[in-house]
Amino acid sequence: MRQCAINENIMGMIIKIAWRNIWRNIMRSLVVIGAIIIGIWSIIFLVGMVNGMIESYINNAIKNEVSHIKIHHPDFINDKESKYFISDITAIKNEVDSITGVKAVSYKTITNAMISSSHAGRGIMAIGVVPKYETNVSGVSQKMIAGKYLTDTKKNQILISKRTAKKLKVKLRSKVVLTFQNLDNEITMGAFRVVGMFETGNNIYDESIVFVCQKDLNTLLDINGNGHEVAILIDDLSELDSIQAKISKMYPDLLVRNYKEVQPELALFQSQIKMAGIIYMVIFMLALVFGIINTMMMAVLERVRELGMLMSVGMNKMKIFMMIVVETILLAMVAAPVGLILGYMTTSYFNKNGINLFFYSEEGMKQFGFDNFIYPNVPTDTYWQLVVAVSLTALLGSLYPAWKAIRLRPVEAIRGSFETRDGLMVWLFKFLRNKIRSIWT
Amino acid sequence: MDLIVTKGITKIYNPNKIPVHALQGIDLTIKKGEFTAIVGPSGSGKTTLLNIIGGLDRQTEGTVWIEGTDLTNLSDNKLIDFRKNKIGFVFQSYNLIPVFTAAENVGFIMLLQKRSKNEIDTRVLNLLKSVGIVEQMNKRPNQMSGGQQQRVAVARALASKPKFVLADEPTANLDSKSTTDLLDIMENLNKKEDMTFIFSTHDQRVIDRAHRVITIEDGKVVSDVNSSIN
Repeated sequence: MRQCAINENIMGMIIKIAWRNIWRNIMRSLVVIGAIIIGIWSIIFLVGMVNGMIESYINNAIKNEVSHIKIHHPDFINDKESKYFISDITAIKNEVDSITGVKAVSYKTITNAMISSSHAGRGIMAIGVVPKYETNVSGVSQKMIAGKYLTDTKKNQILISKRTAKKLKVKLRSKVVLTFQNLDNEITMGAFRVVGMFETGNNIYDESIVFVCQKDLNTLLDINGNGHEVAILIDDLSELDSIQAKISKMYPDLLVRNYKEVQPELALFQSQIKMAGIIYMVIFMLALVFGIINTMMMAVLERVRELGMLMSVGMNKMKIFMMIVVETILLAMVAAPVGLILGYMTTSYFNKNGINLFFYSEEGMKQFGFDNFIYPNVPTDTYWQLVVAVSLTALLGSLYPAWKAIRLRPVEAIRGSFETRDGLMVWLFKFLRNKIRSIWT
Repeated sequence: MDLIVTKGITKIYNPNKIPVHALQGIDLTIKKGEFTAIVGPSGSGKTTLLNIIGGLDRQTEGTVWIEGTDLTNLSDNKLIDFRKNKIGFVFQSYNLIPVFTAAENVGFIMLLQKRSKNEIDTRVLNLLKSVGIVEQMNKRPNQMSGGQQQRVAVARALASKPKFVLADEPTANLDSKSTTDLLDIMENLNKKEDMTFIFSTHDQRVIDRAHRVITIEDGKVVSDVNSSIN
């Protein structure tokens, strides 16, 4: 026995018409699908790039400068004088090290100093570190481009950046002199031998600091057994606040700050990533909505007779409206997964291999603390936000064509005429025009 | 029984600009089971009259009763429901849904009426058989000839079990063989199922087969010849 293919409900039938209608004019549908795919892909890539750049900046800052949490004497923040030190800093280091979730701890002595060579001199910040602890917290030891990192065995070693070396016109094993004030505000100085040169990728940072062993600096400053800063790395960033609170409770007289408080611009950057993503999406939606309106208006114009017939035989306005909306949403549903997968694949590839911005401008990027290699990284949220954004855009873009479709007069539409009933805007226009005419005459 | 009654139907297009009097006081009564042709030259008002009887357009003056229901008083939404359940339409250019098969084009109307799946399946099959196109049931309109498409359109018009079928120039795009076949099918349905057909047409072949011929000129009925054998 023959079988008919009518085994759906009316909604199923509307979806079927809408789906098949998409493929009636393949080229036109592909243009919109292509626009959605490129839009989604470009947003994912852009968000990934911005995210990767900011993450690189933040990670560099955390690794090389700020750590996750820092402990200081409260007055040291405003006035970096040697007298604002933390007493018995080794004990604090050991206590903090025993907190669950703390990955590594180091302590430092910090002082403003003048570095001089036989050719030049400049103001810098001298950081006295304990090499065996510092290498666990700071990434500087991995950024050596010449010589080696500090060791505990030799006295008066100094690490300077490549840029500082260039400005001072010194090489490895050259001698430089550090001059600073000690606890009694007397000028003191020490000769240090350059044992290594580093390059962190952040030119501003590189030019402003030098590293020496803490015991050498403490001797010159006369603050043996003390220090100015405890730097802490933690295992899981989500525990930042709880660990910070714990440490604050342990040392109520000291100032315990996380990296966002130490460098507020890092927090600002992080919030900007989200904002930038939203702005991209809004721009994309705006551009796309007009594309969708255009395509769907063409689709409606092309099917005026068909719509007229559907209205004539008893399809109500709601169903006609639904048909256009469903068609647009299906169009977006075809494009969205492709765009999302393409975006995911592209960012995953570059996340592994990095994008080399060296060709663009090596110095330019480094000046602002970014690496030459950017590793795009897209948060999972972005994919969901895009799904919602595309669905909303499709819905928004379908409203006007769907509205025009239900305003068709069946009797005109059957003949292929696109004459619609007057909408609110037309009515308003005519009303105002008549009013103006009556006033004029 | 009076199926359709019109009283003083007047239709004026562009009443505020340059008025065009498409219909000027049409009084008609069409009984159940009639096979009627409305004829007249182009612009005489045939299609306008059909549109008003079919609830697709509203008259400027006058009243239309279908089985005692005054269409003038029905809201747009009620009129849509009325058309869906009471009237079958056959259009000059078939107006099938191009993305649907013949079976889907016929069954679609019944889905709108929320009929059961079994009923839809059975009726679609029977209707396609009755118009002699069951072999083409899974073909889309672009895979069928004009005559075949118009047969699907007739089956679609009958699918909703309407009280009458309005056919606006149904043979205008058909060759002579297809016209004869289509008229045979409609005449058969008229005889066997007592289905009322009202055509607007120029086609002499349709006029020759009609049992009643209403001639309209300048929006007025100028002759109404009933050669009914019923």
